[in-house]
Amino acid sequence: MRWMDLEVVKRVARIARLELTDQELEEFSDDLEEILDYLSVLDEAPSCECAGFNPIPVEDILRDDEPSLDMDSADLRELMDTYQDWVRGPRLA
Amino acid sequence: MTGASVVEKLERINGRYQVFSEIVEKEVEVAEGGFQFSAKDNICTIEMQTRAGSRILDGYRPPFDATAVRKLKEVGGILVAKDNMDEFGFGTFSTNCAFGLPKNPYDIERCCGGSSGGSAAAACLLEGHLSLGESTGGSIACPAAFCGVYGLTPTYGRVSRYGLVDYANSLDKIGLISRSAKQVAEQLPTISGRDSMDPTSCSQPELVVDGAEPGRIAIPQKALEGLDPAIEESFLRTVDQMTSLGMEVTEVDMSSLRFSLPAYYILATSESSTNLARYSGMLFGTVNHDFNEHFNDFFSKTRSRDLGNEAKRRILLGTFSRMVGFRDRYYMKALQVRSMVTEEYRRVFTEHDIVMTPTMPFVAPRFSDIESMSPLDMYKADFLTVPPNLCGLPHVSMPSDYIDGMPIGVQLVAPHWEERCLLESMILWEGHFQPRWPEVMS
Repeated sequence: MRWMDLEVVKRVARIARLELTDQELEEFSDDLEEILDYLSVLDEAPSCECAGFNPIPVEDILRDDEPSLDMDSADLRELMDTYQDWVRGPRLA
Repeated sequence: MTGASVVEKLERINGRYQVFSEIVEKEVEVAEGGFQFSAKDNICTIEMQTRAGSRILDGYRPPFDATAVRKLKEVGGILVAKDNMDEFGFGTFSTNCAFGLPKNPYDIERCCGGSSGGSAAAACLLEGHLSLGESTGGSIACPAAFCGVYGLTPTYGRVSRYGLVDYANSLDKIGLISRSAKQVAEQLPTISGRDSMDPTSCSQPELVVDGAEPGRIAIPQKALEGLDPAIEESFLRTVDQMTSLGMEVTEVDMSSLRFSLPAYYILATSESSTNLARYSGMLFGTVNHDFNEHFNDFFSKTRSRDLGNEAKRRILLGTFSRMVGFRDRYYMKALQVRSMVTEEYRRVFTEHDIVMTPTMPFVAPRFSDIESMSPLDMYKADFLTVPPNLCGLPHVSMPSDYIDGMPIGVQLVAPHWEERCLLESMILWEGHFQPRWPEVMS
């Protein structure tokens, strides 16, 4: 069974917000199929209940908020695309 | 040495080897007792761009120094350059670089290894130079081996990641590369320590640099499978040398290591596929001014235009691994494997101080050979460096031999927070090993 056919790659690319050319689709489809085939060795690994998200125990440590200005707002306005005192961006709706 | 001569020398070297993505513009002077250093281009610096080897970050100049950079400056380090690297660390050979392809100091037809290729090559080319590298799956050890230098990757969380451009948060570690084991040992305490800007650094015990007597070395039984025969022969000679230095070397069964590489590539790509979403074309680096489009199209166009092929491949793999229906099979299973492999190391470390393997299965390949390798072939080349990286274990690559004039390395892995075992071993080895530095055009 082929996991990464062109339709699957297109779907994953759409979710990942990538626009791929036809050539890229073909190339990634073959590459990812080969990689996923190799990754299937994980099916042979025993399961356990001990999965953590970090390789060492990490405590939640919070620091005090210390307000600071890393960059002057005038400099920021000069560097970014602005309209009056607003930073411009693409449409969200 | 005057500042002008430092910059001129760096520029001349860079003209031939392309190890730096950027060199300081103004003159620098290294004071008595100070040293010059460069930083991998995914480590933030005020005075130079930080582009992580990617076009999408072109023009990004951070308003702050990474903690590791700041600390080196505080003890007399002079930052002279940023080092070329694989885009966001995505590569084994430093051939996915947007701002120059670093060449191996021993043979410019060959790669430096990756992804800290520029950092390792700079350390090899310049006596007394220290490089800040970063490792996710072997990006310090691999280029250190290919360039014949010492490359130390500390325990995950030992060095603050504040100011590091994320590849995979649960795997990224800043470390040191140098010709000199002594220099690495001297500067590890400088960059280590708790930093409130990176909570993962705040759980660490104090770094102790002496008092270790690493005498018991374990070699995983299957570590020699898949090696170039010349690497295997050389490694057995290194084992004999270690024995003559008083080390007790025994073989151990570590059968779970075979699951490390697939688990690593799932975790690393899963994390990176979300991390790269911050490069939207508005905040960092390349700015797309076409604001008439909807954000989703704007975002897609920026990524599709400015990310390289390997970055796209890893985003696709990481996105797929986290999708509904596949998450348990890939991502959750990879987390379980990481715990299982970590437990296997822990078991071995109850009776041994160090786990030793070759660093890489072959010498630095030629660029022409790399072109014919598939992405999976390249991933598989990391099978020796990935296990300690997956588990956040401290490790070092030390130069161990030369094959047809090309350097190779041996990798030592120590328990969590036991960097002192590595430092003692490096210093001992440095007193025994005779390096052959390349002839450098200067």
